[in-house]
Amino acid sequence: MSDENASRFRARRSAPARFLSTYGQEIIIAAVILLLFVLVSSINPRFLGANNLNTIISGNAYIAVAAIGMSMIIITGNIDVSVGALIGVLATISGTLAVAGYPVWFAWTAPILIGAAINGIVGALVAYGRLPSIVVTLGMLSILRGGLVTVTGGAWINDLPPDFHFAQQRLIGIPAPIWVMVILTVLAFLWMRHTAFGRSLYAIGGNAEAARASGIPVERRIVQVFMIHGAFAGLATLLFATQLRIIQSTVPPNLELTIITASVIGGVSILGGTGTVIGSTLAAILFSTIGAAMIFLNISPYWLRAVIGVLILVTVLVDMQRRTREIRKAKR
Amino acid sequence: MTLRKVFRHETILALLVVIALIALDRQSDNFLTLDNILNQGRLMTEVGLIAIIMTFVIVTGGIDLSVGSILGLTAILIGVFWENVGLPLPVAIGAGLVAGTFAGFVNGIIIARFRVPALIATLGTLALYRGIAEGVSQARSVRGYPEWFYVLGQGEVLGVPTQLWLLGLVAITAAIVLGYTTWGRTTYAVGSNEVAARFSGLPVDWTKIAIYSASGFAAACAGAIFVSRVSTTRSDMGTGIELDAITAVVLGGASIFGGRGTIIGTLLGLILIQALKNGLSLAGVKSDGTVVLIGAVLILTILLSNLFHRDTNR
Amino acid sequence: MLRKSLSLLALLSMSAGAVQAQSAWTGGDDLPTNPLACDGTPAAAAAVDYDGGTPTDAPDRNGAEITVVDVPKLIGIGYFDATSKGIAEAAAELGNMNATTDGPVEANIDDQITLIDNYVTGGVDGILFAANDPVAIAPVLKKALAAGINVVGYDANSEPDARQWFVNQAEFNGIAKSMIDSLVAEAGEDASFAIVTSTFTTPNQARWISEMEAYTAACYPDLTWLETVEAQEDNILSFNQANTLINKYGDELKGILGMTSVATPAAADAVTQAGQCGSVAVVGLATPNAMKPYVESDCVKSVVLWNPVDLGYAAAHVLRATADGTLNPGDTTVSAGRLGELSVINGSEILLGAPYVFTKENIADFDF
Repeated sequence: MSDENASRFRARRSAPARFLSTYGQEIIIAAVILLLFVLVSSINPRFLGANNLNTIISGNAYIAVAAIGMSMIIITGNIDVSVGALIGVLATISGTLAVAGYPVWFAWTAPILIGAAINGIVGALVAYGRLPSIVVTLGMLSILRGGLVTVTGGAWINDLPPDFHFAQQRLIGIPAPIWVMVILTVLAFLWMRHTAFGRSLYAIGGNAEAARASGIPVERRIVQVFMIHGAFAGLATLLFATQLRIIQSTVPPNLELTIITASVIGGVSILGGTGTVIGSTLAAILFSTIGAAMIFLNISPYWLRAVIGVLILVTVLVDMQRRTREIRKAKR
Repeated sequence: MTLRKVFRHETILALLVVIALIALDRQSDNFLTLDNILNQGRLMTEVGLIAIIMTFVIVTGGIDLSVGSILGLTAILIGVFWENVGLPLPVAIGAGLVAGTFAGFVNGIIIARFRVPALIATLGTLALYRGIAEGVSQARSVRGYPEWFYVLGQGEVLGVPTQLWLLGLVAITAAIVLGYTTWGRTTYAVGSNEVAARFSGLPVDWTKIAIYSASGFAAACAGAIFVSRVSTTRSDMGTGIELDAITAVVLGGASIFGGRGTIIGTLLGLILIQALKNGLSLAGVKSDGTVVLIGAVLILTILLSNLFHRDTNR
Repeated sequence: MLRKSLSLLALLSMSAGAVQAQSAWTGGDDLPTNPLACDGTPAAAAAVDYDGGTPTDAPDRNGAEITVVDVPKLIGIGYFDATSKGIAEAAAELGNMNATTDGPVEANIDDQITLIDNYVTGGVDGILFAANDPVAIAPVLKKALAAGINVVGYDANSEPDARQWFVNQAEFNGIAKSMIDSLVAEAGEDASFAIVTSTFTTPNQARWISEMEAYTAACYPDLTWLETVEAQEDNILSFNQANTLINKYGDELKGILGMTSVATPAAADAVTQAGQCGSVAVVGLATPNAMKPYVESDCVKSVVLWNPVDLGYAAAHVLRATADGTLNPGDTTVSAGRLGELSVINGSEILLGAPYVFTKENIADFDF
């Protein structure tokens, strides 16, 4: 698409149309969430109760935070299947530090740095070792999962100091996880759209060679984005580990799939180059909404997984349709 | 892709396998016995069938994460068709295999016709097929199959476990198809450069659909064998097997970006992983340690191989 | 157009299952139940013939040093950490048993079967197991018996002829009675309650739920079961599910039954954080350590369990007795160290005892 055609194309579309096409996915998700709320609350008004809203929105906050980092990874055309194991490991580290007597703020922030460090290694292997990210993170998944069991011997952590529970605190009535999730999402979104660093991620995902040719230090960026993703995993751990009074020493099953799914349904494309973190956060909220809705509506829980599967497929098909339509429109 | 380059990764791998076998043999007397080897072959068959066909998938530059769910779905359907619908067992098994192949076919359609990236498409069908298995089975197991069914998973033919014959047959057929037929060459072409392949008039879409259907079929067969081996069905069967299969294929030298990979490589990868799992356990290493080691072996092997293949990357 | 189909499809698929789960309690299995008498008189123990398996050509291990491997459902949860401790304690006490615990990293039958298979090849003298699936594990256990290995199960049984003995922590109907009795004591005979379980495919949980249903129908017909949710082995998910239940039923919910050591603390935390302590009773199976904060704050009055350390301890002693030849088919009791004499029930099961109820008074005495 040549430059004159591109600008002619852009000029021909009105501002609302552009908004819709850029944020179409996010709008769909928000619409489905609203639809569910309307539907379920008409059957059982308690769905709109303050406690329930809290459960829904902050229940998956840690998934939304982790999905921010994952979205960045996917935007660059990579993937990370080890993030679930990483969160499990970081949670145990966090709890162990707290029980060992370190100040609580240290137990909260150490996992962020450790997560960044571990994923920095992964990033280096991907960028400089030229290993496909699926392979490296597949290997890392085994190492972290097995390592966690070896180190903890299976014991849970259950004598956490009372001020450890960050996720239980509230600021002006709104629970901490919601604050963290919203602030991080907004910050990440602005950063991705409006800084050179953020835009370079989209460029790398779109076409790495072209990005390199235009002066973007591709390898360094990839290491950096993996480190940032690791830090977000650490932030997710902050919410995950401090919600309850015990910390399991096993990795929650399927956590990485849930996080990847949230990013994908949120509009981030594995083809690289598009999608926003607002979408992934909305998707995480959509999951907990569906989960709660199924309980409220007495729907057989045996079918929950199938519903999620259908959702993914339909979302991606719609996304592909949109892409082909855009290309066809631009060609005219 | 010259013969010399192909040889190099497979030779390194073969060397690694030999080293591993020797080292593990030192640790335990029971490791390199005929009994144990045949037994490991039996345990390896389900992953093996899936991994062999997964080679085709990965050579085309795709991936299939839904194989574990197809395995579980086939297992459940065999039970449901036999017990709830009342079909005779051979018919039920056949119907299950058809269903599994169809599941793979659907994958192929989504990926080839709708151009959805394989990773995401099979991520979606992973959830969908597993969900259908859970929904249909309502978490009930089906057990009490007739004795003849167990010969498949637990019996022997001429002293060799039944399913191992099947694995051998599939391996040889796959190696011939991939290495020596036009089909195989088309597969490599699609993986190396799909656009060029399409322009050359190769049936890219049909090749992909056929390969994903075959992947579904392999997973379905593995499901039938698994049910026969453990004499019951559960909706959570096969979870995680896709990662084992992909590990074996990648270890075997296939490039995840497509265009490179051989059946012999995959088989060597399978043998290495099975040998490690078995040998380490016999040597007294616990399962969490084994899991860590296999992860490390995967990363190191690919790293090593990449160092010798500096030019063939993204 | 496709966008509309998205929402429509989602709604359609959700409603597909709406017709189910109106009859039996969700999460129960379909095996026959055997509820205990409401007032606690023990059922007349019918003498049952020995129905366990027999090892082929087992070498004489009387008094000899033996190597034993313990293969629980999975490693990495407090419950099996505790059974492992019990086994180690017995091994140290006996002096002639070398016991290691090695289990899969996930509660996966295939991994467990492969593990046991490896140990059979490697040549152990005895296998202790807690099965992820009673039927699936049978072939490999029978293989172990055929190799002359002594096989004893605990916590989760296999088919009887695949092992020699099974140490039963408490009978299914006994646990069911304890749970329901504790619930009624706290919430009243006409309470409405919900159940949080791990997965619907876990055999033990399914048995307990079925037995609870049978016992409730017989003894407390005014109790109302609301629903069962499954929360895997994920404590955050359990927490969210429990919260959703509290939100959905509001005042109608008087009690939550937790079926696993993951679900119960999470449910207790949900009730605490929702400020519903005292209004919603939380009764469940859990390890005391995980429940201490809730019991001490009076949010949870009783925790039903048995002593998993004792369970592992007893299992190890039973294995030793089997290997020594002091425990044989047809015996009615077995000596298990500091636990004294344990009875043989149901042919080839050894009963640990009645379920233990941990309360504020005694929970501090335990550390597992």
